[in-house]
Amino acid sequence: MAAPALRARAISKRFGPVNALSDVDFVLETGEVHALLGVNGAGKSTFIKILSGIYRKDEGVIEVGGEAIDCRDPKDAIRHGIATVQQHPELVADFSGYENIFLGREAMRPGLFSRIERGDLSKRAGALLKRFPVDIDLSKTIAEMSAVEREIVAILQALAGDHIRVLILDEPTSTLTEVEKTILFRLIDTLRQGGISVLYITHRLEEVMEIADRLSVFRGGRMVASMLVDEVRARNLSLAELMLGETLDHVFPPKAEPDAIGEEVLVVRDLTAGNSFANIGFALRRGEILGIFGLVGSGADEFAKALFGAIPVESGSIAIRGRPIAPRSPREALKEGIFLVPGDRRVEGLALTETSVFNITLANLKRASSAAGILKRTGNRRASTEFATRLALSPPNLSMPVSGFSGGNQQKIVVAKGLFAEADVYIFVEPTVGVDIGARAKLYGLMRELSRSAGVIVMSSDCDEVHGIADRTFALYKGRQISPPDGLQTRNRLLMAGIMGELSRD
Amino acid sequence: MTRSLVLPAGSGRFIAFLLLVVVVATAFTLAEPRFLSTQNISAVTRHMAANGLAALGLTLVVIVRKFDLSFAGTACFAAMTIGYLIALGQPLWISIPAGILVGAVIGAFNGVAISYFRLPDIVTTIATGSIAAGLAFVYSNGRTIFQNFMTSGILDLNDARVFGYSLSFVFLLGLYAVAWFFMHRTRYGASFYATGENPVAAYYSGVPIKHYTMLAFVACGMTSVFAVLLILAESGTADTNEGANLLMPAYAGVFLGTALLGRTSVLATLAGTFLITMLLDGFSLLGIPFYYSDGVVSAILLAGVVFFDARLRDLLGDIGTYLQPRSAKKETRA
Amino acid sequence: MTDVIAHRSVARLDAHRPKKGLVSRYWLLVTLVFMVAVFAFLRPQLVDSSNIATILRSSALTAIMILGLTWVIAAGKIDVSFMHVAALGNMTTAYLLAGGHGWLVAGLAGVSVGAIAGFFNGLFVAVMRIQPLIVTIATGGICASIAAALGKGTSIRIADPGPLGDLIFTNIGPVPVIAIAVAVLYAASWYAQEKLTFGHYIFATAQSEAAVDQAGVSVRNLLMVLFVFSGVMSALAGVLLAASLSSGQPMIGSSYFIDGLTAVLLGGMMVRIGKPNVLGTTTAILILAVLVSGSALLGWADYQRQIIKGILLLIGVAVAMRAVRTHHSQHPEA
Repeated sequence: MAAPALRARAISKRFGPVNALSDVDFVLETGEVHALLGVNGAGKSTFIKILSGIYRKDEGVIEVGGEAIDCRDPKDAIRHGIATVQQHPELVADFSGYENIFLGREAMRPGLFSRIERGDLSKRAGALLKRFPVDIDLSKTIAEMSAVEREIVAILQALAGDHIRVLILDEPTSTLTEVEKTILFRLIDTLRQGGISVLYITHRLEEVMEIADRLSVFRGGRMVASMLVDEVRARNLSLAELMLGETLDHVFPPKAEPDAIGEEVLVVRDLTAGNSFANIGFALRRGEILGIFGLVGSGADEFAKALFGAIPVESGSIAIRGRPIAPRSPREALKEGIFLVPGDRRVEGLALTETSVFNITLANLKRASSAAGILKRTGNRRASTEFATRLALSPPNLSMPVSGFSGGNQQKIVVAKGLFAEADVYIFVEPTVGVDIGARAKLYGLMRELSRSAGVIVMSSDCDEVHGIADRTFALYKGRQISPPDGLQTRNRLLMAGIMGELSRD
Repeated sequence: MTRSLVLPAGSGRFIAFLLLVVVVATAFTLAEPRFLSTQNISAVTRHMAANGLAALGLTLVVIVRKFDLSFAGTACFAAMTIGYLIALGQPLWISIPAGILVGAVIGAFNGVAISYFRLPDIVTTIATGSIAAGLAFVYSNGRTIFQNFMTSGILDLNDARVFGYSLSFVFLLGLYAVAWFFMHRTRYGASFYATGENPVAAYYSGVPIKHYTMLAFVACGMTSVFAVLLILAESGTADTNEGANLLMPAYAGVFLGTALLGRTSVLATLAGTFLITMLLDGFSLLGIPFYYSDGVVSAILLAGVVFFDARLRDLLGDIGTYLQPRSAKKETRA
Repeated sequence: MTDVIAHRSVARLDAHRPKKGLVSRYWLLVTLVFMVAVFAFLRPQLVDSSNIATILRSSALTAIMILGLTWVIAAGKIDVSFMHVAALGNMTTAYLLAGGHGWLVAGLAGVSVGAIAGFFNGLFVAVMRIQPLIVTIATGGICASIAAALGKGTSIRIADPGPLGDLIFTNIGPVPVIAIAVAVLYAASWYAQEKLTFGHYIFATAQSEAAVDQAGVSVRNLLMVLFVFSGVMSALAGVLLAASLSSGQPMIGSSYFIDGLTAVLLGGMMVRIGKPNVLGTTTAILILAVLVSGSALLGWADYQRQIIKGILLLIGVAVAMRAVRTHHSQHPEA
């Protein structure tokens, strides 16, 4: 029997006192698509980095095609046939697709002063496309390409060295729409048929079931499960529970009781913004959480920004507690009481080198300072301490730069910012990206608590999350709102609405 | 909070800085005892004033993560403007504000071009600085202006003493104190820092970031005029070249201060400027010729940046290519 | 089915891609021709044989000075030390000549200091990853100081321009020999830029150093080569200027600063919009030289010319920004 494409035995890796990986065994067969699952810190990225040569293993053996290998750096890994495509591949924007594919490999001899034969490049690209047929115009520049085309270019670049046997894809679909995902999956199928083995890392559990042959779950630095996807399906196992090591029952807090739901806090009618979204409307009440399920490209991101004044609105109305508003900037939106908890908190939500107090008071500097503009330092510190306690910020060190906090705690600091801004409506966009499943439960509890005194909207591309946390949901599909009259839906109906854009009869 | 001196991290570096000052002062005094004389200290404080003033506005620009290479040219133009008005017989309370207005207008132009039209900062300010330096010649076709200087009272700015220290030094300290308070105890300073640290987060927090970026450039233009005013007062004439030498020491002060104290701030710039002025003064006392001064300042700047460069790298990491708008850089990320 | 897809994709590779508008790529050349026409109409002496020779000669020297700079900026870095490196090369040569050495030694020494300066620039920018503006402000200041020191604050007379002087002042018809030499140099440079991986990697580096590094090309080595080359070229220009002026001038660099940057950046608006390139630099240098000559013939003052140059730079940058942004916004992410 032929040796597997890749085999790892008893791999261990320590960083100081921390065991990042302990005694990991792993097998990747030829032509197999193998998904790696696990929460942040479970060890899967460490494992991948060892395979791709970024880290060196402390113990264990790695074999490619039956031959033991030792990778000292990424170039070694490539030489042994292991290529990696990062989550956000680095490409040269104004170079064409095929120039990117053969970057560094343009000429016979590598070096700074070799002749480039552009005609030769397109011939070689043609040969590559014969091996892995995919419908793409490689003469376009990267800047002109869509997200999936760029991913394809990155994959072709990884495969351009002919001897690659193992391709590692790190979160390849994080920026792709549903349609684009299909295109990518077709390419992966082609790779599989071409004998390339694919290691597929993702957080999206539905994708795993769709594309992978086998999956392995990391938890606490160990490989806790490795099985065929068919088997998972047959036994109806919960991947999330495998990753967490516990049942999911208590991740989401209980829904709101009907008599706990109060007055209308936010009423949106027929909100439209050009090509992004049209005719969105709903009424949000105090005490209930509204969930909006929207995938990449559905207009959800734009809608959130429009509510927050960051994107102009063409028509429709927004009213807070009966008062019509039309925010033209986040500054105005904040004044009216709308607070956005942005999707990427490191990029959009926090000034990382500043302290918690600084960040918490930033959205309401008026309250944080006197009429003359002088900061009320004691008062601000006191308020921040109160919020930190209420939100269980850990560690409760308000003088530390916020970069030192974990993802979940950073999210709490952003929420505290909204509390300090005395917001009436909180809009959470992709609230638990990069947040440990354990910390997610606390965050969901926080949202429920917030909803008792303010309106809470949760927008996410994770259907389970939206369905689990919200009292009422609707889906966004290509800018249109898909919601049934009664508001509440089953999880599968919500999923269908967001993926297909129509209401299905259960 | 991290910027106050009571924090362990901040005060550690500050104490290290003070030790450095003591070491340098001791070294110079051993080589040349005149270094610690009242006369010399007075000279140091006076020389520090012009450089320190120019560096103050630049500090704001660097805090919002931009560069300004125009303020030397702006200073030249403003100096000639002031000189021209003085020569025409205008009183100081008209001439000086007119010069400051020039600085503010050029700064505003920079700010609008860079902040609202998103032109690259380095190249744009090189251009505006060059235009301003050329405009300096307009008043007198390049000839030095000196009429009425003696009688206008401008020389008093240089000669006046407050508690034994030159008026210019006291003004410097006063302005720095106000600036420090502004940056670290008011919401406006917080907005500046937020704009520089993470413009997107600041925008989503309601901070008008374009406004603040523009204001930084206006401030830089204005402080360069304060600086050149002191040079005018000392020389008693207005030259088209008056402000040309402000660029290097200002950058040295800001970045040396950043390297020494760990982050760009009013205090850091003051420390950096002080150290540089002290070193320059010491070298000149030791008889090293004037034309070495730029080189000395440069070498110190380089040494400071190289040895403390980790922080600087983080601070300036995203000011990479500047011919391309920010959106182009993001294109390469899928 | 798969074959069809493959064939379709391959076919698209060979499809003729229409070049971006001819006008937007060559408007600078058109401007040059237009300018020559206008000035020649107003002052026919512009196209006198001797005047053309002067224009070509000064263009040639500038072209040597900023050839390396073109690529440094094209790679996404800035260098504001080049004019001081030229001054250092200039003064080194003059100093050694005055000390009795021959032109061979003096010239080689002059060029070598440029290589050393370039090496340090490369060391700090490429290896230690310190922000290029700060590094080159500092190294420029050091070079300027050393240059001044060599002449003790003043210029050095050169008795005999030697063979280099002959090279510079010999003409073939209206064309100076040096201009021909430079044309050959630029032709070779164009080849390296367009046909070799050298230029390819320069432009790639400007957009994503990470992509280039991951592709196995050492960005560090590339940048080091560029900085050393730039230092050598600037210093070479300085050496030639010494022969040309029969003296070493410590301040010789200052007028080349704006001109050099303007030429590179304006030139970047041509051929490859937003990317400095050899052809564009050539055209822009000629434009500036014609501007100088024509405006001198028209009796404009130096400072008026300087203002015009600054405005040109500003317009050029604004135009380029718009061009780059429109291009990128026409092809948004799907």
